[in-house]
Amino acid sequence: MTIVPFGERALLVEFGDRIDDSLAARACAIADAWEALGHGPAVPAYASVVLRFDPFALDPAEAERLARALLAGAGPASAAGSAGAAARSRTIEIPTVYDGPDLAAVAEASSLTVAGLVALHASRPYTAYFLGFLPGFAYCGPLDPRIVAPRLARPRARVPAGSVAVAAGQTAVYPFDSPGGWRLIGRTRARLYDPAADPPALLRAGDLVRFVPVR
Amino acid sequence: MIRIHVAGLAATVQDAGRPGHLRSGVPEAGPADPFAFAAALALAGLPADAAAIEIVGLPFTFSCDDRRIVAVTGREVTLRGHAALPAWTAVLARPGQELTVRGTSRSRFAYLAVSGGIDLPPVLGSRATHLASATGPLPRALVAGDALPLAGGQGDPATGGTTIAAPGRDGPPRAIRTIEGPHAARFGGAATRAFFGEAFRVAAASDRMGVRLDGPDVAADEGELLTCGVVAGAVQVPRGGAPIVLLADHQTTGGYPVIATVIAADLGRVAQAAPGEELRFARVTCDEAVAALAEERRSLGAVRCAVR
Repeated sequence: MTIVPFGERALLVEFGDRIDDSLAARACAIADAWEALGHGPAVPAYASVVLRFDPFALDPAEAERLARALLAGAGPASAAGSAGAAARSRTIEIPTVYDGPDLAAVAEASSLTVAGLVALHASRPYTAYFLGFLPGFAYCGPLDPRIVAPRLARPRARVPAGSVAVAAGQTAVYPFDSPGGWRLIGRTRARLYDPAADPPALLRAGDLVRFVPVR
Repeated sequence: MIRIHVAGLAATVQDAGRPGHLRSGVPEAGPADPFAFAAALALAGLPADAAAIEIVGLPFTFSCDDRRIVAVTGREVTLRGHAALPAWTAVLARPGQELTVRGTSRSRFAYLAVSGGIDLPPVLGSRATHLASATGPLPRALVAGDALPLAGGQGDPATGGTTIAAPGRDGPPRAIRTIEGPHAARFGGAATRAFFGEAFRVAAASDRMGVRLDGPDVAADEGELLTCGVVAGAVQVPRGGAPIVLLADHQTTGGYPVIATVIAADLGRVAQAAPGEELRFARVTCDEAVAALAEERRSLGAVRCAVR
């Protein structure tokens, strides 16, 4: 585990180099604990957290001491943390029309029929690890390892909002039209981001996400 | 009301930013040049959480219905009524007087603060505009004909003429100060020497998300990085080796190694660099970074005292 400065107003805490439910849950727990101290926001990801602070309110050296103390407290997969995460987790259903432009190619690369790929993608709930890239964009996984979907070598200039996508063991929905390198297997009418709502994102880290096939 | 007569290319309402929804993936937004923005607020007698206008693409012409104190800041900008008025200075605007913010080919982000402040209701805790996700109380660029409500508080005419120095913006070019990045160890000696030893040219594709740089290849030895949270000022190096300095509208997370982080006090100088201009980078300590930010705060504090 490392704690390093990220500028003079933030620290980056890293504690792993793989995509894993328990590491992502730990990142969220650390982010919650930091935000509870009231020094500033935190940004959790797969196996890291950015902790922000005001260097005039909290000396950077003191911030690092606080972060170390907090990490010692929030041990890996502590019983209390897991119970808390389970209590918070919701299941969000994403009605999905499976007709994406990459559906047939992903099925073929995975040695599956299209119907088989759809059944496999919709068969399990995914964990939302964290949100990033775009407002409301949740990195979800793990995909069934039989689904073979490397990122596109040449990302599309425009992926339509609502696209349901897979790449490198993960799945997600694009909340906005944007450039994107994931493979598109379907689309949803669910609204992933609404600035008039609070919180504005449909999904939050720790949610279970289920894709429900619709026509 | 403040009435917009000529709107520039992408003028937006901004406040200090929206840090409360990073975990929903919502960029902080706020001003690309935080010091120039804060200086405009201070000169107009506004608190640090007030809202003002960030202007991209000059000229920009406006008038206020009643008497107001206005302040314009930015790079190589001036204010014109009947005569030229200085930027970085509190100016008394008469009711209905048309004023134009002008710049040069090197002007990037200009700020216009008006006493009372732009009076729009916060959205998700902030009045900042994030155009790409249409977040904010006025989630679009301003257009000619817009009229924005101003809060009460016309400002004290006696504060007209109060001025603030634009630090390090008019003198000879000086290296952009950075702190060693969180992934510095992933970069080889040659890449690190090139980053701190050579000049980079600002690319035309730069925007509020980031300043893109052309120059020597400074790619990391190990390209793949597990996506992590990032901050404004982070100097990301994608596999191609061309660095990007993240600005206000940056994504909340990123997957590229960060070689260095621009200190808060120099963020505005990066944001205001025009395409084709050269930037160089230097290393400083965390203490020096905090001291530079403290210096900015002192000069803003002095303005606040003067206009109180």
